[in-house]
Amino acid sequence: MSTITEAPAGLASIVMRRNFDAPRAIVWEAMTEPRHVARWWGGPGVTNPVCEMDVRPDGVWRHVMRFPNGYELRLDFVFLEVEKPHRLVWRHADFDIQSNGVPPSTTTVTLAEADGRTTWRMVAQFRTLAERDLARSLGFTGPIEASCLRLIEILATWINGGSEINNEARP
Amino acid sequence: MTGDTLSSTLFALADPTRRGILARLATGDASVKALAEPYDMSTAAVSKHLKVLARAGLVSRGKEAQWRPCHLEASPLEEAFDWLSEYRRFWDRNLDSLGSYLEEMKQSRSVKDDPAVPSEDQ
Repeated sequence: MSTITEAPAGLASIVMRRNFDAPRAIVWEAMTEPRHVARWWGGPGVTNPVCEMDVRPDGVWRHVMRFPNGYELRLDFVFLEVEKPHRLVWRHADFDIQSNGVPPSTTTVTLAEADGRTTWRMVAQFRTLAERDLARSLGFTGPIEASCLRLIEILATWINGGSEINNEARP
Repeated sequence: MTGDTLSSTLFALADPTRRGILARLATGDASVKALAEPYDMSTAAVSKHLKVLARAGLVSRGKEAQWRPCHLEASPLEEAFDWLSEYRRFWDRNLDSLGSYLEEMKQSRSVKDDPAVPSEDQ
């Protein structure tokens, strides 16, 4: 499967990075085996009564998160790229049909290992078809830079009267 | 904020020229001609970008003055920023949780693999 390096027009991205003091093989296992994912996904207070992952291209990831107030959030994803142990790409199953609600995203996680530690890097890209079609109709067809939306962060600071907002992805 | 408004805002922000235009407008109202100046672009091309920004509710045009100044509308930006911050917070929590879980995995593995051998530190 070819590696996608350019985002089509109309995609906005969030990039996050994190270092883990664990070998890459363990991080890969923790994020691709349902019995592990169900233990950590969502953080404290969240349980995951459903976590079924068919980790291969076109494989489905069915997931239900249960929050402390009892609210259950159903997530349906499809894996696009699976390159053990360094690259995993998935997206919302309704990526191409959803026109309302939260913008669906494609999530790309790459794992790099050095000295027994692992750097986890995620790029989440959001889109809707309506926006893509608008982009085409206005003649925007070229690639965009994958951005951390730095500007929105700067502008938001300005909007809030100069109050500091620390929204940097952790190193 | 509806998903459609949010995605319009995200789409508007996905382009570096449009981000540049917003940054310029954050310092004060400007004409289309003034906005086009930093770019190697026609005013028509800049107008297309302004159309996207206007559709997302991020830019409005003055009616009175002849040069119809462009004005930054901050509230959709603020709402999108809130949503993006929430998204980042979700992943921060998720990664904190993964980090703790990895420690557990390492711990149980060293016990399981080498029950009789003390760790290297000791």
